[in-house]
Amino acid sequence: MPDWRAYVRQNLGPLRLDRQEVSDISEELAGHLEQLSEELVAGGFSEAEAALRTRAMAGDWQVLRQEVVSAKRERTMSQRVKQIWLPSLVTLFISWGILALLIGARIQPLTWHVNKPPAVILYIPWLVLLPSIGAAGGYLSRRAQARGWRVYLAGTFPALAIGCVFLIVLPFRVFVDPYVVHDFEFVGMMAMTLSWVLLPGVALCIGVALEGMRKLPTATKN
Amino acid sequence: MIRTELKRGTAELAVLSVLEQGPLHGYEIGRRIEERSGGTLHYTLAALYPLLYRMEHRGWLRGDWETGDSGKRRRCYRLLPRGRKMLKPMRAEWADLFRALRRVAKVTHA
Repeated sequence: MPDWRAYVRQNLGPLRLDRQEVSDISEELAGHLEQLSEELVAGGFSEAEAALRTRAMAGDWQVLRQEVVSAKRERTMSQRVKQIWLPSLVTLFISWGILALLIGARIQPLTWHVNKPPAVILYIPWLVLLPSIGAAGGYLSRRAQARGWRVYLAGTFPALAIGCVFLIVLPFRVFVDPYVVHDFEFVGMMAMTLSWVLLPGVALCIGVALEGMRKLPTATKN
Repeated sequence: MIRTELKRGTAELAVLSVLEQGPLHGYEIGRRIEERSGGTLHYTLAALYPLLYRMEHRGWLRGDWETGDSGKRRRCYRLLPRGRKMLKPMRAEWADLFRALRRVAKVTHA
């Protein structure tokens, strides 16, 4: 009896998919061919003849490869949206929405002046709420079967997004804008990074980590 | 023999219909469709499995790995409520199409 798994792997070639997914696809297709071949043998064909017919009945491998990758990619993209982008947007809108409300309500932040104008600005009620918001993002991501870094990315997205903005702005202010005093700007950026990226990021992370300790109802095993 | 393009359109309904009777492996799904259609509908691996993966992704069916008595693992597909819900409108759609074809092209049952 031929090694159908090896035959499938050889004909499918390298698929640009998750390793486990490739292994499952190969096993499933090999199982199909094996069953077909066994049935042909049971129907009176010699093993060699059954193997030949099975190979002929498998169809076009190039089409199969393209179709499988396209079907699985469709799934991967939609999973990425559910596991990362939707929870990320939820945490982003809630966290910055709450901050906007606090600012609108003229709640005064705690400020710690590092230099003359630049200061570390802390909206304490916001920071206190951030772990819950991070937990919500983490929960939505985990509910969509996400694990590890995806969950943390979704939960801490508001801080990461602002961090990315700073990463773009900082080099511009330091190296491109000729009108700024470098030391002053650098200290200012550090204070802002601490206020809007690091501390909120830690608060969000705590929420994600605490939520992660909770057991989810169940995940469907494929 | 029916052309590939035409068969492809029928595949979703065929798969959902055979799974309506109970869970089946990929091979059994293809076999059952072939038997029920008197050999007219035969799907190759390239036609059957990508379709199963797409239908699974849409939440119409679910594939679970099961280990049989022989110790071999097989992926068993079962119809989900969303897939069951699709069956009725799909059947109605195909019935409409056949009626229309009968009128236009004088297609009749063999």
